Amino acid sequence: MWAQILEQLINGLVLGGIYALIAVGYTMVYGIIQLINFAHGEIYMFGAYIALMLITVGTPFWIALPLSMLLCAILGMFIDFIAYKPLRNAPRLSALITAIGISLALQNLARMIWSARPRQFPSEVLPSFFLSEITETGKVINAVPLPGGGILPFRDVFIFLLAVVLMIVLNMLIYLTKIGKAMRACAQNQVASNLMGIKTNQVIAATFAIGSALGAVAGIMVGLSEVVTPTMGYYKGVAAFAAAVLGGIGSISGAIVGGIVIGIAEVFGADIHSGYRIAFAYIIMILVILIRPSGIFGKATSKRA
Amino acid sequence: MRDKLTPRNIILCLCICSLPWLMYSIDGIEKLLSAYRIDFGWPGGDYVIRILVRACLYMLLAVGLNIVCGFTGLLDLGYVAFYLIGGYTAGILMQRLGVPYWFALPIAMVHGTIWGLLRGIPTLRLTGDYFAIVTFGFAELFFRIIRNEQWLTGIPNGQLRGIPSPSIFGITFDQNWHNYYHILILLFLVVFLNYRLQNSRVGRAWVAIREDEQAAESMGINVGRYKSLAFAVSAAIGAIGGAFIAQFQVNISAPFFEFWESILILCMVVLGGMGSIRGAMLGAAILGSLGEILREVLTRFTDFPELAGSRYLIFGIILILLMRFRPGGLIYKKT
Amino acid sequence: MRNWIVVLLLVSLVTVWGCQPPEKKTDDTATDTQDTQQELRVAVAAPITGSAAAFGDMIKKGALLKEKEINDAGGINGMKLTLLFRDDAGKGSEASLVAERIANDNTILAVVGHFNSACSLAGQSIYDRVGIVELSPGSTAVNVCEGSKWTFRNLYRDDFQGKFIAQYIDNVLTELESVAVFFDNDDYGRGLRNAFVAEIENTELKLVASEAYERDTTNFKAQLTSIKSKKPDAIFISGLYTEAGLIVKQAREAGITSQFFGADGIDNADFLTTAGTKAVEGTYITTPFLFGADDVKAQEMASNFENLHGVPPDTWAALTYDAVGMIAEALEKTYKLEASIEDKRSAIREHLAAIDTPEEGYNGITGLTYFDYKGDTVDKPAYVKIVKEGKFVAADKQLTNLN
Repeated sequence: MWAQILEQLINGLVLGGIYALIAVGYTMVYGIIQLINFAHGEIYMFGAYIALMLITVGTPFWIALPLSMLLCAILGMFIDFIAYKPLRNAPRLSALITAIGISLALQNLARMIWSARPRQFPSEVLPSFFLSEITETGKVINAVPLPGGGILPFRDVFIFLLAVVLMIVLNMLIYLTKIGKAMRACAQNQVASNLMGIKTNQVIAATFAIGSALGAVAGIMVGLSEVVTPTMGYYKGVAAFAAAVLGGIGSISGAIVGGIVIGIAEVFGADIHSGYRIAFAYIIMILVILIRPSGIFGKATSKRA
Repeated sequence: MRDKLTPRNIILCLCICSLPWLMYSIDGIEKLLSAYRIDFGWPGGDYVIRILVRACLYMLLAVGLNIVCGFTGLLDLGYVAFYLIGGYTAGILMQRLGVPYWFALPIAMVHGTIWGLLRGIPTLRLTGDYFAIVTFGFAELFFRIIRNEQWLTGIPNGQLRGIPSPSIFGITFDQNWHNYYHILILLFLVVFLNYRLQNSRVGRAWVAIREDEQAAESMGINVGRYKSLAFAVSAAIGAIGGAFIAQFQVNISAPFFEFWESILILCMVVLGGMGSIRGAMLGAAILGSLGEILREVLTRFTDFPELAGSRYLIFGIILILLMRFRPGGLIYKKT
Repeated sequence: MRNWIVVLLLVSLVTVWGCQPPEKKTDDTATDTQDTQQELRVAVAAPITGSAAAFGDMIKKGALLKEKEINDAGGINGMKLTLLFRDDAGKGSEASLVAERIANDNTILAVVGHFNSACSLAGQSIYDRVGIVELSPGSTAVNVCEGSKWTFRNLYRDDFQGKFIAQYIDNVLTELESVAVFFDNDDYGRGLRNAFVAEIENTELKLVASEAYERDTTNFKAQLTSIKSKKPDAIFISGLYTEAGLIVKQAREAGITSQFFGADGIDNADFLTTAGTKAVEGTYITTPFLFGADDVKAQEMASNFENLHGVPPDTWAALTYDAVGMIAEALEKTYKLEASIEDKRSAIREHLAAIDTPEEGYNGITGLTYFDYKGDTVDKPAYVKIVKEGKFVAADKQLTNLN
């Protein structure tokens, strides 16, 4: 009983770490330009595909990972430049529809380029500790045995640790660097920060770049443990968005906590009634929002849609 | 609607009412010409009418969503929930309990209204994106319930088989042109009601809430009551759409009511111009038929089936371009 | 105001442009001396885009192979068979539009499709109204053919297959005592699971867990952890290979050593590659046919398929291959140039409906196909395959007669 709960808790934490990585992308963009960037799930998907392509042509994994992050950051900035920048002064919902349009276009573009067939990272070129396999004796190699018979693959440990490290780096970036300070200023008041000499468009571009790079990492992590498909951005993207809102949209610590909460709620939901797996996460989210109408870490605002 | 009965409007009305006959006569012309081996690639009257019916259905739904999104200015991502409730209420009543459509339609409407009000109670004090995500969560819950609770429909995946077509005095309305007039009448009633509401005290109260909730409240508008009214009317319209599609499709299943439908309807409202009834209808007419227009065009002009499968790529690009050049929507009133 | 008139004009221009007749290709003058009358058109409706696109792809490849073989052999009574592929995206709402488009096209004689049961049902009301045969190579939901005289399918129903698997585990693999079901929460997976669970009641097996997952999701750890805690001897995956491969992989990673079972939805090489050869070893699956070593026809089709498309065929490709073959046979026997389109279409229906005994059955690569009064295929046998050294091979013991 307790062993199962422990194992589920770990499943939830690993899933939550991935949600948190994606949710940060949503929440950062929202914090600055109040846009639900629906295309973020697709950037995450592109991150996985780009890394997959790089690895298939022979790039080592440790080079493919940052390269894919870089390319996704460029993709994120490019999307901002061509689609969102012209709409800065338009009604907010117009930008939302643009985001939906980009999401549709990117998803179908991926389907045309890479086909709908699910793909996996070729196991030969990955670092060996990623490959946990069961042996004839029933033992799983490259994994940590848990008390009570549970098994935790090294890869999942790696995913969770990487998520934690990236979150720490992100927080340092936001609170200790100049660009981070500029981001916080823009999130508070764009016009005022512009008057103070901050180039808001550059700051917004940087926000897109950072969010997209983190999304790419999440995509690669999911690609490693699961598969890469053109629709992968949709399911995790929606759940991650719920996580961002749950934590209080615009708040980075909120996104992290929200991601973990959604991940754990989903996993235990599956334990209770697997047909309603993700629905449990949404129920928790609704309850939290009803109790705290601005999410866990959100500031009470009277913003309108 | 406020426009007078000018000759132009009368001709427009006549055209809309005679569309099916126009389509069927093109069918006839094609048949005649095919005797001379001339093929001008007409895709078939019934097919075009089905697209028209679908576009009209989306118009109805867009007008319904416009009340919450356009008038009161709340972003509703879960409108599909009411569409689903209407569809399954009518479908289950008609198919499993044998209730005639003419009773099932108002019952579905009332059921939708009830859920609209129930959803309204906890969400009244939410704003902006918090409201959006909670509505999304509600819709997702309903979708899961239909998928998982097999006793409701008897068949997995929320499938309802053989929903009977409505009939009066032994005449069964199961042809596409029947459905065209059917949805046209429903649409007319809904749009008429909408214009009456828009130009009434209620409509002005809604717009006041959208522009500034606190100011509206201090002017003596009961914000909670007017918001609830908006939710109820909007939900009722969604449920009408659902009841219609149940009898139109004959066999329905859960994927008819996916989250994507919510997004599509929202796109229609925003594309047409938020808060404008005509805009919502125009947006619905364009997006509701764009998928099929693209399908026709692409299958005709390419030998690559992959490209024909890419119509949603083009769909996405069109959304981006339209918003890029008409950010306020196609019909945009400056306020 | 003026602006949106311009937009409307543009849209209508596109529409008018779309209504232009397709340009005639110049290079096929050799065969095309008469004109369209010489070509017999059959629509293939499949999920070419959308989340089931991987299946649509195999369906299309199977259909293309049969089309090529028929035309290379001189066509149908000298006439060319042309397949038109129509995309229903695996969605009922799109399927009904596709169905209307097909039914209204007076050159299309029959439909092979749809794949998803929900799509077959969505199209059914239209095909029934217009009167055109819908022969599904993929819809296994129990009720698809009920109440429609125009709907047929050339594969068994979920209830047969579920029952078969339960009895196979009970009678052949006697050392297994407890089973768990892990099912795809849609019509295919749940329908199969319902039949399996119902049959378990009649056997000595014990059902210890029944968990669901959603199509297109990729993380199954939570459900697998709760299945694991029930310690089943066997796990039956009632779903499709895209998810099943991942399930087996993640289950092995979680230390689950149970015996895995699958149904025809898993019969694809991708299942093996996704799960990895070690994890998948020893998995049993049922299938409507075997590319058995002694089955010359199936082997020939498999090698032709690989020559044409570069990938091995799966169940759906083979079933579509046979469905196109059945339609082609019907056309060969019934097609009359001078008949009206309605008569041509209903002649195909009469031909298929008359195939109701084994003697008259269509002998394709997936076995003998003949229909009952509903249009369901009856007595099509199921076979069991096992994964050995990373390949599907026929299991040593087959179950021939069901109780």
